[in-house]
Amino acid sequence: MKPGKRIIVICLFLLLVSIAGNNNWSSGTATILPKGRWEMGLFQPLRVGQTERIEWSIHPILSFQIPNISVKIAHPRFNGWEFATRHSLIYPTPLLRRLRLKGFGISTLAEMDVGGIISNDPTISQIPHMVSLKNEALLTKKIGVKTLLTGKGGISFAIKNGKLDSRTTIDLPIVFPRLGVYYNGYAVNLGADLLQQLTKKLQFLSDVDMILLPGADEVFTFEHKGLFIWNKHSDFRILVGYKLVYGEYPFGTQWHLLPLFDLEWGISK
Amino acid sequence: MNDNHSNPELIYRPRWIVPIIRDAIKNYPIIVLKDIRNFKNAMRIFTFTALCLFSFTFFSSCDPLVTTFEDVEDAVMYKAASITEPGVVPPEGFDVIKVMTWNIRFGAARIPWYIDSCGDRVLLTKKEVMTGLEGLAEKIKQVNPDILLLQEVDVESKRTAYVDEVQWLLDHTDMNYGAFASMHQIQFIPSDGMGRIDQGNAILSRWKILETERIQLPLRGDQSALTQYFWVRRNILKVKINIPLSLPRDFYVVNIHAAAFSTDDTKRQQIDKFIEILDELDDNGAYYVAGGDLNEIPPSSDSTNFCDEDRCPEDADDFCRDGSDFYAETDWLNDLYNGYTIHPAVPWSEYLEDNSPHFTHSVVTTGYSWNRKLDYLFSNSEWVAGSHITHQDAFDLSDHAPISATLNIDQPIP
Repeated sequence: MKPGKRIIVICLFLLLVSIAGNNNWSSGTATILPKGRWEMGLFQPLRVGQTERIEWSIHPILSFQIPNISVKIAHPRFNGWEFATRHSLIYPTPLLRRLRLKGFGISTLAEMDVGGIISNDPTISQIPHMVSLKNEALLTKKIGVKTLLTGKGGISFAIKNGKLDSRTTIDLPIVFPRLGVYYNGYAVNLGADLLQQLTKKLQFLSDVDMILLPGADEVFTFEHKGLFIWNKHSDFRILVGYKLVYGEYPFGTQWHLLPLFDLEWGISK
Repeated sequence: MNDNHSNPELIYRPRWIVPIIRDAIKNYPIIVLKDIRNFKNAMRIFTFTALCLFSFTFFSSCDPLVTTFEDVEDAVMYKAASITEPGVVPPEGFDVIKVMTWNIRFGAARIPWYIDSCGDRVLLTKKEVMTGLEGLAEKIKQVNPDILLLQEVDVESKRTAYVDEVQWLLDHTDMNYGAFASMHQIQFIPSDGMGRIDQGNAILSRWKILETERIQLPLRGDQSALTQYFWVRRNILKVKINIPLSLPRDFYVVNIHAAAFSTDDTKRQQIDKFIEILDELDDNGAYYVAGGDLNEIPPSSDSTNFCDEDRCPEDADDFCRDGSDFYAETDWLNDLYNGYTIHPAVPWSEYLEDNSPHFTHSVVTTGYSWNRKLDYLFSNSEWVAGSHITHQDAFDLSDHAPISATLNIDQPIP
């Protein structure tokens, strides 16, 4: 692959991973997309309502390098709460292997080749084939007229066919905890979203998420985001906000504050 | 809210995604202007949130991608997990202090690292780092210095398994207190998976460190602004030490690691700054011991060109790596050797008599072949005659040999 293409792949990966979990409109809730409706964003997965009970989603661009698919299934309501489960399958090996390189031969950064996210050190063995399965439950309830509350919790499992060297971790916010499942074998996530209608067209989404890697040296990650959502209509909206991350990394703990931006489109049949 | 899907008015006929995107981008400013009331509200909320976020960011511990430094700022202080007794205070009238300087190559020993030794290694395993540090600690304990100047020490780097080497060396030698001044602190270097790095100079001492200063040295002038931003920020680490002797003056330790690969006069500016600090201390009537890795050979050295020695197998026969040819720099250390108050631990006359026993560096990964002197110790007090040792036996522990010497601070300042 040419350097330019590699750079694009890496940038896309980092952008997509950084926005991952930034699901709203319908996907951050237990609500299922109506049959025939499609939604997608610049950085959001493509979501499709297959029936009134089943919604599929996939990151179309990422799937070339990191095949992924997710299905959300609606279950009967109880106590006024909408209830759904989401099940995701991810195969990150091709992308991680592609990110493992010295650089692109472009020496603009401190006179070193730029682009090697994972080290090509000869003592690090090949990244094995790995698959993770994430199972998540979502509960959504409308509070008053203007607020929607969603609670979620899930557990992920990963299997791999060889040793994954601990030096291959990408010690960056958002990325590190999401790849943690492949090093730890399993991960737990808990979270809550609060979506408020501020004006006719403006919403504010506030959420908290925790990712736990029980048994690992780096157990805890906390993420919070605030997003202003400008809805032109049900088929287009703009999302601008921030993401605050506090997490444990191999070097210790650290805070990060990151900008978020996305455009989303919807198509209903 | 999300019940829009059930509203028949809002169900649109299928359209191609590309025109939708084009329309959305094209119409966005019009949307804002049309709905000016909502826009104002949104802006108010956004401004308030932005202010809150700015305040939070300001007071939170979010770190920049690359850490830059003030001209002068405090260094990071360390203390050993358990304090070792400083030992018997030398008898009155014979106040000697043993000093050692060592560029420890971040504990990588002679592993062929990819930047400086024609190698392909990037990230050491924790076991490799521990083996390297254990070798360093053993040598330090054998030399048994009172004050130790270290260069190329990692404290939070992925390449060294995030081991805090200052703390580790304090905890595994008889040194008690430490100070660290970072010269390269970056959250993530996207080059061959280097990731996070924090390396710099350190001073370890048996006795309490009272004051610290990290003095920024000039940045390389032969690089683009972008490269310079990500490049190492070399510094001088100056500390004041509380020596339990009845000294009439303050005692300072000054540690430098000068530029290695600059092709302009950056290194000369850095060395001049080093000399300026030593002169200032002397003018203020303080005792000092100074040293480190100057990346410069002494004046009148027998050999000034190391292009052949430093060339990697893949290089062309006439290729010379940056930092290998000292021909134009042979007088840059003159002021350190001709000064009236600055005394080198290794006397110049002794070095000129035979260079090779005083060599402290080589980049080759095999064979015992030190080939140049880059490391130094100086003081404005007298060194105990014949006390200096260039520990060339430590070849396997780093690409630099340590130097130790004993300082007699009982001698009056001329």
